[in-house]
Amino acid sequence: MSEFDAIIVGAGPAGSSAAIKLASSGLTTLLVEKADPPGSKNVSGGIMWGNELGGVLPDWEKDAPLERYVISKGTGLLTSDSLISVDFRSRKFESRKTGYSVLRAKFDQYLANKAKSKGATLVTGVTVDGLALKDGKVAGVIQEGDEITADTVILAEGVNPRVAISSGLRPEIGDKDVAIGVKQVVKLSEATINERFNIRGNSGFAGEYVLGFLKNGVKAGGFLYTNKETISVGAVINVGTLRADNETHSFEIMDQFVNHPFISPYLEGGKMEEYSAHLVCEGGIGSVPKIYGDGYLIAGDAAGFSYSNGLIIQGINYAITSGIAAADTVIEAKSKSNFSSGMLRGYEDRLQGKYVLKDLKKFRGIEEVTWSNLAHKALPDIAEETLFNLFYEEGIPKRHLMEIVLSATKKSGVKKTDMILEAYRTMRRM
Amino acid sequence: MEIEEKLSVLNYKTDKGFEHITVTPDICEVCPDYFCTFACPAKCYTVMEGKLNFKYEDCVECGTCLFACSHGSVKWNNVKGGHGVKYKYG
Repeated sequence: MSEFDAIIVGAGPAGSSAAIKLASSGLTTLLVEKADPPGSKNVSGGIMWGNELGGVLPDWEKDAPLERYVISKGTGLLTSDSLISVDFRSRKFESRKTGYSVLRAKFDQYLANKAKSKGATLVTGVTVDGLALKDGKVAGVIQEGDEITADTVILAEGVNPRVAISSGLRPEIGDKDVAIGVKQVVKLSEATINERFNIRGNSGFAGEYVLGFLKNGVKAGGFLYTNKETISVGAVINVGTLRADNETHSFEIMDQFVNHPFISPYLEGGKMEEYSAHLVCEGGIGSVPKIYGDGYLIAGDAAGFSYSNGLIIQGINYAITSGIAAADTVIEAKSKSNFSSGMLRGYEDRLQGKYVLKDLKKFRGIEEVTWSNLAHKALPDIAEETLFNLFYEEGIPKRHLMEIVLSATKKSGVKKTDMILEAYRTMRRM
Repeated sequence: MEIEEKLSVLNYKTDKGFEHITVTPDICEVCPDYFCTFACPAKCYTVMEGKLNFKYEDCVECGTCLFACSHGSVKWNNVKGGHGVKYKYG
């Protein structure tokens, strides 16, 4: 007889969503988190997309600590001198809210406390060291030499899942699985933020940028999100190109982004209140390990669940959906008193039926588009050259737009064959 | 703003009895690239007089150095419960 029906390692969005669902269904649930309080080691760029939380907390929009809802979604290309951007604003996002900026220290604590109020046992400031095995099956966790037993363990440890890796349930992470995320939280008054981003009330801005100005082939994206009285600004850095360069420091890229002539005005006069760094899941379906086995399931970032295409980065919604699917699987397993791999396979089936695995499979290879030379070098340069020539009046006969684009393309120095291949890939995979 | 100044804003509960990351000096001594010094976002790795210096106290536990080092020098553990970096915003 196990001490718990389920033990969940990690109280982030995946773990806490699973715990809320399990505890609400009357299963004895232990939620273990190494940070104290929960969320105080977690970092995300800061937008939670979708309405996944509604699956476990119908009133989340009323009582969760949300910063601002996204009314304006920006996407831009930055060169040293220019910003080329699209800023999509729509009142449609007012009536049908699709994304909220969140700050994880507060948000994750809220979720963990919800799990507790539904009846889960929440233990914080406790690090799980490994898995307890019995007859080759996962039978609980080990902490400081003590064994705590459960019928099922849900590993929701996040992007650097030490327990899953050290237990051999998934491989070590590599350059292709993750990107390096760095972030700063800058304090400004609510009125100043509203004015600078041309937003009102609790509406907000979420922008992602290609940092086309980086030298030596280094690739990175930047993000800029409004919170109530702070701005989250940061960079997501490709590891392979940083390694190939071996001259640029990750933390310098952050500075180059915030000091860009068209980004810095947003942050001017603000107080830098927090610097943070966290890995970002970037590997697509290729980074997803086997997500179930005898007595265990893997959810959220630990399972490589995230989606990014350069225009948008999503992870929290994937975490919540996988957490809930893991809980549903455990509930079914409990009803049949069967915690074998064959039974827990239902988890994968559930995710196959949802966008989590559907998206990852459909967009196989998207990471090559996200980090392509086309997106990071050719497009910013071509767009800048084209638009500059289009808008700069010098009193000489005008050229057709196509001529301008072609000469800008030639000037960009990216091989035509590479560009055609990458453009084709982008069309197919994006 | 220098990285040192940025890190000084953070709260840590440093575990004086347990270094959650350790490096193997013999391996670092002959390192051809020192990529850790470029990859680590908290500048925990620096080279001084041709020798690698590592300080775990400034670590924000991101995990970058673990795979940044392709020479097998870095051993990475979770911090013991409640220790390490404590973000106010996250």
